Amino acid sequence: MIGNIGFGILIITLVTAIFGIGAALYGGLKNSPRWVESARLAMLLTFPLLSLVAVALIILLVTGQYQYEFVYGVTSNSMPLYLKITALWGGQAGSLVFWSWLLSAFVSAVTLRKWERDQEFLPWVIVVALVTVAFFLVMIVFFENPFNRFWFSPSGQMAAMFQPAGGVLINPPDGNGLNPLLRHPGMVIHPPMLYLGFVSFVVPYAFGIAALVTGRTDDRWIRVTRRWTLVAWLFLSLGLVLGSRWAYDVLGWGGYWAWDPVEIAAFMPWLSGTAFLHSVMIQEKRGLFKRWNMILIIITYSLVIFGTFLTRSGVLSSVHAFAQSAIGPLFFGFIGISFIISLALLLHRWNSLRSEGHMTSLLSRESLFLLNNLLFICILAICFWGVIYPLISELLTGEKVTFGPIWYERNTGPLFAGLLFLMGVAPLSAWGHSTIKTLGRALWKPAAFSLVILVAVFALGVRNWAALLGFWLVGFTISITLYEYGRGVWARHRRTDENLLVSFWNLAARYRRRYGGYIIHLGVVLMALGIIGIELFQVETQGTLRRGETLTLSNYSIRYDSLAEFDTPDGKNVARAVVTVSKNGRPMGELYPRRDYYYESQQPMTIPGVRSTMEDDLYVLLVDWKPISADGATFKVYHNPLVNWLWVGGFIFILGTMVAAWPDKDPQPARRKVNRRAVAASKA
Amino acid sequence: MNEPVEKLTENQPRRLPRWVVGLAFFILLAFLVLIAWGLRRAQQGPIVIGQKVPYFTLHTFEGEQIKTADLLGKVVVLNFWASWCKPCEQEAADLQRAYEFYAPSGQVVFLGVDWVDTEPEALGYLDQFNITYPNGPDLRTKISQIFRTTGVPETYFIDPEGNLAYVKKGPFLSINEIMAVIDPLIP
Repeated sequence: MIGNIGFGILIITLVTAIFGIGAALYGGLKNSPRWVESARLAMLLTFPLLSLVAVALIILLVTGQYQYEFVYGVTSNSMPLYLKITALWGGQAGSLVFWSWLLSAFVSAVTLRKWERDQEFLPWVIVVALVTVAFFLVMIVFFENPFNRFWFSPSGQMAAMFQPAGGVLINPPDGNGLNPLLRHPGMVIHPPMLYLGFVSFVVPYAFGIAALVTGRTDDRWIRVTRRWTLVAWLFLSLGLVLGSRWAYDVLGWGGYWAWDPVEIAAFMPWLSGTAFLHSVMIQEKRGLFKRWNMILIIITYSLVIFGTFLTRSGVLSSVHAFAQSAIGPLFFGFIGISFIISLALLLHRWNSLRSEGHMTSLLSRESLFLLNNLLFICILAICFWGVIYPLISELLTGEKVTFGPIWYERNTGPLFAGLLFLMGVAPLSAWGHSTIKTLGRALWKPAAFSLVILVAVFALGVRNWAALLGFWLVGFTISITLYEYGRGVWARHRRTDENLLVSFWNLAARYRRRYGGYIIHLGVVLMALGIIGIELFQVETQGTLRRGETLTLSNYSIRYDSLAEFDTPDGKNVARAVVTVSKNGRPMGELYPRRDYYYESQQPMTIPGVRSTMEDDLYVLLVDWKPISADGATFKVYHNPLVNWLWVGGFIFILGTMVAAWPDKDPQPARRKVNRRAVAASKA
Repeated sequence: MNEPVEKLTENQPRRLPRWVVGLAFFILLAFLVLIAWGLRRAQQGPIVIGQKVPYFTLHTFEGEQIKTADLLGKVVVLNFWASWCKPCEQEAADLQRAYEFYAPSGQVVFLGVDWVDTEPEALGYLDQFNITYPNGPDLRTKISQIFRTTGVPETYFIDPEGNLAYVKKGPFLSINEIMAVIDPLIP
C-alpha cells in the first residue's frame, strides 16, 4: 500500500517536472510571466512531493517490508533503527531516490529567492534544474524502481512493480542486510554530504546556462551563485574528508586515499570547483576571465554528472561501483546531450564573454590566481587522464592499463606543492598591480620566520628533501596566513579600541569571505602536514606473536595479551585481541584490534585498534589467529606520524567554508554597485 | 577596483574561427564515443555461470605454458591475485592447502593469475606464502578480460566440461569454503 502510494507520487512528481519544463520553455520564449510563474511553482512543488516518496521508502525500510526487492537487499531484522533509515542510500535504487530528493531540495530553495533583479534568468534556471530532476526521476521510475516487489508467477520468481499475471507475492521473513563496510558512522554521513555537494552544483550551472541563453553575460550570474557554489563546495569537501576518514577507520589498510577511480571522480569536480571559486573573484573585481569562469562551471557540472555515471554504469571497476545496471545507456544519453548543448551555447556567446580589461602585472593578485587556476586544471587533467586511460588503452591496444597511486602521487605532488606556495603568496599581492618590491615588503617577515621553522625541522633530524620542502611550505603558508590575519586584527584593534579577541571575531564576521578564506587556507595547510606525515613517514611491520610476546615499530612496542571469540546479538562473530602498547618502554594502555564476521552477508570486516595523538597514530590490525588455542595471532602494525592533523585541518577547513558561506544579514554596499553596473551593461 | 574598467568600444565581431569550433566539437564527440564504447563493454557483462569458458593460455613464472584446452575433464580453480592485494593474503594459505589436498587425486587443477603486478614482488609473494601450484602473470590482461574481473581476489571454478561453475569475489575465509565448492564438481 505504502509502496503504491510512493510510486504514485513519484509519477506525479515526474509529470510535474515535465510540465514545469514545458511551461518554463514556453514562458521564456514567449516572454510570458504567467507561464514562468506556473513553472516556478511546479519546481517548488518537487521537494514536498519527493519528500513524501522518501518518507514512504523509509517507512518500508524501517518496518521491514521484505517483499520489496530494495528493502530485502539492504536491511535485515538485526539492524539498528538508524542503519535501517540510512540504508536508504545503501543501494542503487534508494540512493537515486535520495539523490533526487536532495536535488529537489536545492532547486525548490532556488525558487524562493528574490528574483526581481534577474527575472530573465528564471525560466532558464527552471529548465536546467527541472531537466536534471526529471532525468533522475525517469531513471528511477523506468529502470531502478525501489518499490518493486517480489512475485512468484508461472514464469518464475521476479521483481516487479505490478502484479504479473497469476503472480503471488513473496514475503521473505528477513532481508539480506546492509553491506557491513557501510555500517559505520562515517558511511552514514559520507554519501549524503557527497550527494549534497554534487547536486548543489546544479544551481550555479543552471545560472551559468541561463546567462548564456539570455545573453546577460555580465557578472550577475556569478554574484547570484557565489554563495550557492560555496555551499556546494562545502558539502563536496565534507564528503571527501568524511570518506577518507571512513577509509582510514574501516578499510584496514592504514591509508586514507587510494586514488581509486571513483574517489577521483568525486575529487575532479572539487578541483574545478575550487578553481572556479578563485577565478570568479577576478571577474568580480576586474572583469577578467568571463569565458574561463563559464568554462569552469560547465566543466564542474559535467564532471559531477560524469562521476555519477562512472559510479553507476559499471564502465570502471572500483570498490565504490554499484552493481551493474540498465541505467548506463540512458545516463550516457543525458551526458551527451547536456555536454553538447553546453558547448554549443558557450561557443555561441563566446564573443559577448570578452574580458572587460587586461592583465596589467605579472605579480598582481589576478595573475597569481590565474596561476593557481592553471595548477588546479593541470591536476584535474592528470586525474582525468588517469581515469579514462584504461578505456583508451583497451580500445587502442586491447590491453587495459591502469595507473596506480604512485603514478598519481608523482605527477600531482609537485603541483600540490606549487599550490601550497601560491596559497601563501597570493593573498599578499595586490589587485591590478604588484611588483617584486611591494610583494617582498609584505612577504619577508613571515618568510624569514618560515626559514626558522625549516632549520628547526632539520635540527630534529629530518633529512628527506621532499619532507623538508613540504614542512617549509607548510611553515611558510601558516606564517603568512597568521601574519595577515594578525595584522588585520591589530589594525582593527588600534582603530576601534576593541580588545584583540573581539577584533578577531568582528573582522571575520565583517569580511567573511576574506577571513573565511584564510581559515580555509589554514585548514588546507594543516591537512598537508598530515599528508606529508603519513605519505613520507609511515612505517609498517607484521608479525605472528605468541601470548606475551612483543612486536616493535619505531619507538612503540605492542604485546599480545589475549584473544576472545564470541557472538553478538546483532548477528556477527567477533574475534577481539587485547594488546598492550608501550612507548619507549613506558606502558600506554591497551588496544583492541578485532575482526567481525557478519553471518547473514558472510562478510568479514577488520577493525583496527588505534592509539591516536597529535604526534602520531599507532594502528594495529588483527590479521590472523589460531582459532582454538588463541595462542598465536598475527598483527599488522602501522605507525602513521602526524596523520591527525589531516582530520584537524579538515575540520578547520570546513569551519572556514562555513564562515565564508554564512548568509549576510544586511545587504552589502557592493551589491548596489553591481546593480548600477548591471544596468549599465544591459543598456549598452 | 576603483580604476575605470577598460571597455572594448570597437565592436569588432571577432567570431571564433570555424576550425576551433569544429575541433571543440570533435574532441567532445571523440570523448563521447570512447565512453559509449566503454559502456558497451561494461554492458556485455561477464561470462555467466553454466556458460562455456573460452580457452586461454597461462604463461607461468617458470616459463611453462598451460593451455586450458588441455585441462578438460578436470576441475579448474582459477584464482586472480596480486602481491599488493591485502585480502589476497588472507586466502593464500588456504588455497595452497586446498591444492595440496587435491593434488594426489589429479582431478583438480589450481591456477594462479597475477593481475597488474611486477614480477619480483609477485615472486616474493609466492615465496612468502609457499605457493607451489602454477602461477603466471596476466599478460596484456587477456585473462581477466575474458572473465571481466572487477578486482582481486576473485576465483573462478570451471567444471570438467569447461563451463563456468562458480564465481567467488573477495577472499575465501577457510579451506572448507573452497572444498565445499570443489567437491560437487569432481566427477
